Amino acid sequence: MLQNFGYLAPKSLAELYAVLKKNSGKAMILAGGTDVLVNLHNGCMAPTTLVDIKKIAELGGIKYDKKNGLSIGAVVTCVEVAENKDVIKHYPLIAKAVGEIGSPQLRNRATIAGNICTGSPCADSSCALIALGASLELSSADGVRTVFLKDFFIGPKRTQIKPEEVLTRILVPADMAGANFGMNKLKRIKGHDIALVSVAVAKTDKVMRVGIGSAAPTPIVTKDLAPNASLKDTLAAVAAVAKPIDDVRASKEYREFMINDYVEQIYSDLFNGKGR
Amino acid sequence: MLDTIPSKDLKHIGKAVERDDAIEKLTGQALYTGDLEFTGMLHAKLLRSPYARAKIKSIDISKAQKLPGVHAVLTGKDLHYRVGLYLVDKHIMAKHITRHFGEAVAAVAAETPEIAQKAVELIKVEYEELTPFLDATKVFDKDVPLVHPDLGRYSYIKEVFTPVPGTNIANHTKLRKGDVEEGFRKSDYIFEREYTNPNVQHVPMETHIAIGKWDIGDRITIYTSAQSPFTVRNLFSFSFGISHSNIRVITPYVGGGFGGKAGIGLEPLVCCLSKAAGGRHVKLQATREEEFSLLPCRSGLTYRIKTGVKKNGKIIAQKMTMFWDAGAYADYAVNVTRASGFSASGPYEIENAWVDAYSVYTNKPFGTAYRGFGHVEFSWGVERQMNYIADQLSIDPFEFRKINAIKPGSKTMTGEVITDHSGNVTKCMETVAKAINYGKLTAGEKAREQKTGMKIGKSVVALHKAPAMPSMTGTVVVLKLNEDASVTVNHALTEIGMGTYTSLRQIIAEVLKWPVERIRIPIENDTDRDPYDWQTVASKGLLLSGNAAILAAQDLLDKCYDIAAQALRAMKCDLDHDAEKVFIRHKQESFITFKQMSVGYAYPNGNAICGPVIAVGRYIAQGLTNLDKENSQGYPAIDWTYGAHGVITEVNPKTGAFNVIKVASAYDVGRVINEESVRGQAIGGMIQGLGTAMCEGYIYNKDGKLLNPSFTDNKIPTALDMPEEIECFAVETPQVDGPFGARGVGEHSMIAVCGGVGNAIEKAVGVDLTHMPIRAEDVWKALQKKSEGQGKKLKAKKK
Amino acid sequence: MKIKLTVNGKKYERDASESKNLLHFIREDLGLTGTKEGCGAGECGACTVIMNGKTVNSCLVLAVEADGATIQTVEGEAKNGKLSKLQTAFKANHAVQCGFCTAGMLMSSRALLNKNPKPTVDEIKHAIEGNFCRCTGYTQIIEAVQDASGQLKKKGGLKRA
Repeated sequence: MLQNFGYLAPKSLAELYAVLKKNSGKAMILAGGTDVLVNLHNGCMAPTTLVDIKKIAELGGIKYDKKNGLSIGAVVTCVEVAENKDVIKHYPLIAKAVGEIGSPQLRNRATIAGNICTGSPCADSSCALIALGASLELSSADGVRTVFLKDFFIGPKRTQIKPEEVLTRILVPADMAGANFGMNKLKRIKGHDIALVSVAVAKTDKVMRVGIGSAAPTPIVTKDLAPNASLKDTLAAVAAVAKPIDDVRASKEYREFMINDYVEQIYSDLFNGKGR
Repeated sequence: MLDTIPSKDLKHIGKAVERDDAIEKLTGQALYTGDLEFTGMLHAKLLRSPYARAKIKSIDISKAQKLPGVHAVLTGKDLHYRVGLYLVDKHIMAKHITRHFGEAVAAVAAETPEIAQKAVELIKVEYEELTPFLDATKVFDKDVPLVHPDLGRYSYIKEVFTPVPGTNIANHTKLRKGDVEEGFRKSDYIFEREYTNPNVQHVPMETHIAIGKWDIGDRITIYTSAQSPFTVRNLFSFSFGISHSNIRVITPYVGGGFGGKAGIGLEPLVCCLSKAAGGRHVKLQATREEEFSLLPCRSGLTYRIKTGVKKNGKIIAQKMTMFWDAGAYADYAVNVTRASGFSASGPYEIENAWVDAYSVYTNKPFGTAYRGFGHVEFSWGVERQMNYIADQLSIDPFEFRKINAIKPGSKTMTGEVITDHSGNVTKCMETVAKAINYGKLTAGEKAREQKTGMKIGKSVVALHKAPAMPSMTGTVVVLKLNEDASVTVNHALTEIGMGTYTSLRQIIAEVLKWPVERIRIPIENDTDRDPYDWQTVASKGLLLSGNAAILAAQDLLDKCYDIAAQALRAMKCDLDHDAEKVFIRHKQESFITFKQMSVGYAYPNGNAICGPVIAVGRYIAQGLTNLDKENSQGYPAIDWTYGAHGVITEVNPKTGAFNVIKVASAYDVGRVINEESVRGQAIGGMIQGLGTAMCEGYIYNKDGKLLNPSFTDNKIPTALDMPEEIECFAVETPQVDGPFGARGVGEHSMIAVCGGVGNAIEKAVGVDLTHMPIRAEDVWKALQKKSEGQGKKLKAKKK
Repeated sequence: MKIKLTVNGKKYERDASESKNLLHFIREDLGLTGTKEGCGAGECGACTVIMNGKTVNSCLVLAVEADGATIQTVEGEAKNGKLSKLQTAFKANHAVQCGFCTAGMLMSSRALLNKNPKPTVDEIKHAIEGNFCRCTGYTQIIEAVQDASGQLKKKGGLKRA
C-alpha cells in the first residue's frame, strides 16, 4: 500500500472495545479486507490503524437453533456461510446471495458482515438478509444494541454504526427459517460483477418481503406483504421503495424494468410451485 | 517460400509443438520487467491531470523536492522533447496545457514507491479548466477548441500522412476507386447508415512498465515491457538526438501487448527521471488505472456508410466516412486511419469506392494500435450494413455476402488484383455456415427455445486484414551453431505471448531436418545483441520472420556444406545431410558432423578451418508501395488473411439478455505451422472480440472525465463468459511468398465478432443495433423501439 | 511486525511492514516474483495464492494477516525440480501464452483439484472465473485442467476445412 498505517489484532472483544475507544475515528475495522484494501489501494481512505478482528473467537461461528434462528459471526467468510449446513437447510436464500458475491478468491476472504458494513447499495448479501428481516448486533464498550438491517443503512456507504462500535453478529429470525425464496442479480458479464440490480424475495406462511439492491441509495426492502399478496400489490410495494438512478452501469429505466421483471419471475416461480 | 511442399512431407510444420517458454512461465521463473531489481534503483510515481483540457497556470514542486528520499521531481516544463511515431506531437509530460484526463503533469523518482507517492501528493498544481473538444464528428464545426493549435509546426511522415493544420484533423486518408457518383446513379437502391464504437482498452494482464538508466555520458539502458524494442530505440533516438548505438533497449518477458505496447510509452519519462537523479535506474509501473487513462487505448469510431446496390444484390458503389476519435495524440491512430481506410469495405469487392477517413484529435486518452488495427471497429459497421441491406432486399445475408465477397480477379479498394493464392473468404464463410447449421434451427435448438423462452438467431460474418506496415518492413534471423550442434537464434520479433517463436523453431527445424529441441530462441530481446526487427505488430511476424528463418536455416546449411566440401574434398552438389551430419551422397561413410564443424573444423592433424558457424537470413517485404495520397491506389498489402465467424446467440425477447451459444471461426492461414498456436490465437482473439462486443468501452462524463478507469466498471470476459461451444477451422490456400505458404492470424480472430453477435441477435429478435458494445440494456432498448414501431422493416428505398 | 509463515513448505520469519500487502511481501521480502500484480484491487486474480487451503487475492491480504499461515505460490507447484501433473497439462495443452495470468490461474486450478479431483467443465469455469486471461480465451486452460484430472478425451481441436 502506498500509505502507512498501523495494525492491531485484539484477541478479545474487551480488548477490541478499548482499541476502538483509543483510536476513535481513526481506526478502521479489518475483517476480510476485500473492501478496505481496495479503498486503501485507491487512496480513498486514510485510517491511521487497521484493527483486525479475525483473532477474536467470539466473532466467529454460525449458530442456529429453532428458537433463536440464525446467528452469523462478524468474521465468518462468505464461503463459510455458503457451505454451512444450517444455512443451506434453513436459509438457502442466504447461501445463494453470498454465492453471488465477487469471485471465488473474494468469497474465500470477504465476510458477510463486511459486505453489510460497506453500506454499499449493491451489496449482494444485504438484499437477501433484508428480505429475511435480519438484524444486526452492534457492540461497544457501552453495551450491545440490535438494529434491523433495514434501518441500519442511512445513505450511500453510510450506516448507523458509530466509530467505537463493531458489528458483532448478524441475526436472522427463526420464523424466517425455511422461507420460500427467489433471487436474481443483473450483471454486465457472467463472471464476477457488481449488481446492476438485485432482487431477493422471502416468503413464509406469515409474510412476504422483497429486498432490492442497487435501486436506491441503500439496500431496501418492501413493507411486509401478506403471504398471498397479489403480483400487482407486490409490484406496487416494490415501486414504493425502488428509486434507481442512471449511472455508468445501467440506466434508471432499465433498472426499473429489470426489477419488475425479476419480481414477476420470482413471484411466478414461488406461486407456481417452482420456488422452494 | 517452400509453399508447394505437400503437408505429408513435412515433419514439424503443422504439428502442435509445445511452447519453449512454457516451463519458465509455469514455474514463476520467467522474469518480466517488474521482477527486475537493481542496486540503488528508484521508483517513480506520477501526478496526473484531473481535467480533459486545462491550462497549467503553476506547479509548485518545492515541498516534494524537499521530502527525504526524493531524488528527482520533473514537470513538463523541464522536458523539451517531443515524441511521436508518425506525427511528432507529444511532450513527455503535459507542458502548459493538459490535453486529456489522466495525462501526466509531474513525476517523482524516490527511494521507494511510498515516498514517491507522498511526494506526488505534495505537488500543487493550479489549473484553469478549458472547454474540451470531445466529439470527433464535430470536427468540421466552426470555432471548436483546437487540441493542437501548433499542428502545422509538427514534423510528420509526409509521404504517408496528411494532417490539416488549423483543424483537429491529425490525418485525412482519401481513397478514390472508380466513379462513386456514377455508381450511385446506376444503383437500384441506396442505403446510408451510421455505426459507432467507443474507446476500448487493450488490458494486457501486465500493465506498462519501464526501467530506465541515463548515464552521465549519455549512454542509455532501458528495460521495458514493449512489443518493439527497436522502435523504442529509434523513436528515443529521434526525440533526444542520441545515437542509436548509445541506446540499449531490452525486453524481458512481456505480459501481453495487443498493440498497446507497440510504440513508445513510459521509456522517455523514466530515462529523464534517471538523468535528473544522476543516472540511477528508475522504475515506473503503470497502475491499472493509469493503464486506462495515461497510456493509450483504441480509438473510437463513428462510421457512415452509403451503399449503392443493384437489385441482384451486387454492391456497385460505396462511400465511407470514418471519424476516428484519436484522442489527444496521434500515436498509431493516424496509421489506423490509413490502414482501415484502404480496407474499409471488409472482404467485399466494391467497384466504385470513396473513403474519407479522418483521425480527429479530441481531449481524451489517445488511441493507438489495437489487435485488428481499426478492422474490429469498422467491421462492426460493415457487417451490420451488409445484414441491413440484405434484409431490405430480402436476400439471405449469407448469400448477399457471397455475391459480394472478394474472389480471384477482384480488385481491392487500392486496385490490387486478388489471385488464386490470396486466400479464400467464401470457403471460410461456407465452413462456418455449415458448422452452425446456418439458416435453420435444429430440433435441439427448437426444443431449447421452447424450454427457455429465449429466441435463437444465427449469423455468418466475414473479415479480412493485411498487415499495416511501411513498404520497407524488414527483419533478420541469426543462427549461431553451438558446440553440441544445437542452434541459438537471435531475433528481435518480441514474443509477447502469441507463440511465434515456437512456429519459428518448427520452421528452422524443418529446413535443417533437425529435431525442434535443438533450436532455441531466447525470449528476451536486446537491441545491443539482437539484429533489427521493425516491430511486433500487424500479424506480419510469422510471414516475415518465418521467411527470414528459412533463409537463415538455408544459409546455415550452405555454410556447413562449404565446410564439409572442403573437409571431405567433395563438390557441394554431391552433399546431403541428416540431423547429425553432412555426408557425400554416393559415399555415405564420408561425413563430418555438425558438432565437428560448429566452432571451426579441425583436421586430424590439428589444422583448423572456417571458424564458428553463424548464419543469417534477411527478409524484407517486397513489391509494396506508398499509396497515392489523393486516391490511395497502390500496393499496401503483403498478404491478406481472410476469415469468417458463424455465431449462434439466444436472446431473451423481453429483457434483452443474451447468451452466445456457439462461435465457429475459420481463417485462411495459408498453411498451419503450429496447430495449437493457431487455435490459441483463434480462440483468444475471438473472446477478446466478444469483450469488445458485449461489455468493454470507455465512458466519459460531459467534461471528458473517464468514469470507468478500472475493472470495477470496465469488465473483460471471464471463463464464464465463453460461448458454450467454440469450433476453429483452418483453410489452407498457400501464400506463395509465405513461409511454407503460411500467413499471419494474430489479429483476425478479433475482427467481426461483434458484427456476428449483433447480426445473430437481430436474427433472433428482430432488433436493429448500431452501437457497440452491445449490452443487454442496448438490446432491451432496441426491443422497446421495435415495439413502438420504430426500426420496423422499411421498404427498400428506390432512389 | 514480526511474522512467521510457511510458504511452499519453507518456514519464514520476517519483520513485515504493517502497510504492506501479502503480494508485495511475497515478491519483495521473500523474493518469490512468480506471483504477479495485475490490478491491485482484487479484480483480476493475477496475484492469487493459496492461503490455508483457500485461494485469495494476495493484493487484498496484509502480510501481517498471514502471520501463522501456510501459503502456496506458483513456485511451490513443481516438486523436486519436476513439473506437477497440472503444470505438465498446461504445457501440453498450450494453456500458456503471455504467462502473466499463469501463476494465478495455476493456483486457482490447484485449489480446485485439491478439493475436487474430477471437476466438470462448469466447475472449472467457476473456479477460474476470478482469474482474467486476456490471451488464451480460456479454452486451452480448461482443457489443461481436464487433462490434469484425467478427463480430457481428445487433445487439440483445430480442424482443417
